[in-house]
Amino acid sequence: METTLNEPQKRLLAAIFEIGAEHAARALSGWLGRPVRLVVSSVRQVDLEAACEVLGAADTLVAACPMELRGPLAGQIILVFDDRAGLALVDFLLRQPEGTTTTWGELEQSAARETANIVGCAYLNSLAAHLPTSSAEKTLEPGPPSFRHEFAASLLQFALMDQATQSDQLLLIDTRFLAEEVELEWTLLLVPSGDSLRSLISASSP
Amino acid sequence: MPDVPSANTTQPTPIFVPMGRWAVAAAPAVIRTLLGSCAGVVLYEPQLKVGGLAHIVLPDSRGSVDHPGKYADTAIPALIEDLERLAGRRLRPRLTAKLLGCANMFQSSGNLEIGRLNRIAVERILAESNVPLTRSDIGGDAGRNLTFCTSTGIVAVKVPGGASYDV
Repeated sequence: METTLNEPQKRLLAAIFEIGAEHAARALSGWLGRPVRLVVSSVRQVDLEAACEVLGAADTLVAACPMELRGPLAGQIILVFDDRAGLALVDFLLRQPEGTTTTWGELEQSAARETANIVGCAYLNSLAAHLPTSSAEKTLEPGPPSFRHEFAASLLQFALMDQATQSDQLLLIDTRFLAEEVELEWTLLLVPSGDSLRSLISASSP
Repeated sequence: MPDVPSANTTQPTPIFVPMGRWAVAAAPAVIRTLLGSCAGVVLYEPQLKVGGLAHIVLPDSRGSVDHPGKYADTAIPALIEDLERLAGRRLRPRLTAKLLGCANMFQSSGNLEIGRLNRIAVERILAESNVPLTRSDIGGDAGRNLTFCTSTGIVAVKVPGGASYDV
């Protein structure tokens, strides 16, 4: 069975995921009480070799809140930020000057997880309404977010492993947000499982 | 002196090995990779100071020839062949192996199984190739940042937020 998206399929999915990303941006804006702008929303299918550079340099340490997806769209949804942006988020949520928080303690991790939960659920609720029928027969519900401090390339490897068992081309849905007035930039990655990749391709075929 | 190619710089530029690829080099050289659930296989010949690293994704190619570096059963023979070509001679039985990686961040059974199958496949293929596995640093739930020095055969490992150690 085909595991590579053609251009029309990519455009269709990109349009659907962009609607989800706009919902997520609005939810993030409500959570922060600040305007949040959607910077990039893209559907990318990349080679194994390129996959681990999607978040920048392979050995960059990132903070990440992965949530496992089950059901018709299985896989991982992961909110990722570099340390500076993640710790600035915590300062902002705790109403303290930027630069006050310097380490990821339990309170800081909890703030990151809650942010991921809000953004991820808004995104998935929108996707459930717009994805092609066979991929959205049920509500899309993520598991509880966890918190990880990880090398960018290792994080992507963990997330992409299931797809790698079925395809040499790996699909990532990459969404980037920028909060205005504060230096906060995040990436929301959606990585379908191998089976879900096949379902998405099948459902987006004319 | 070993009759193998060698870089002339005193501080060699690290060779980075992405997922599903391998690299070989003679001393002085540094080979790097980042591992998560993948398996990193490091081979080293201490007299000639030549070594290589394969970044293996899955255990079995099932006959596929498109991406030999992706699978344990095709990557390890290719790595040995490239090393012997670099050295210009047969390296076994002096070649030794280290296995790193095979971690699991997500608790889904599929990921756990791949790490286990990668380890079993690597151990079997090394044994069939007459390359003893001398050290392992596998499992856990975190990534590993590897720096392999072909002058010493040492693999320096960094984990996120943790101390570095040598394997």
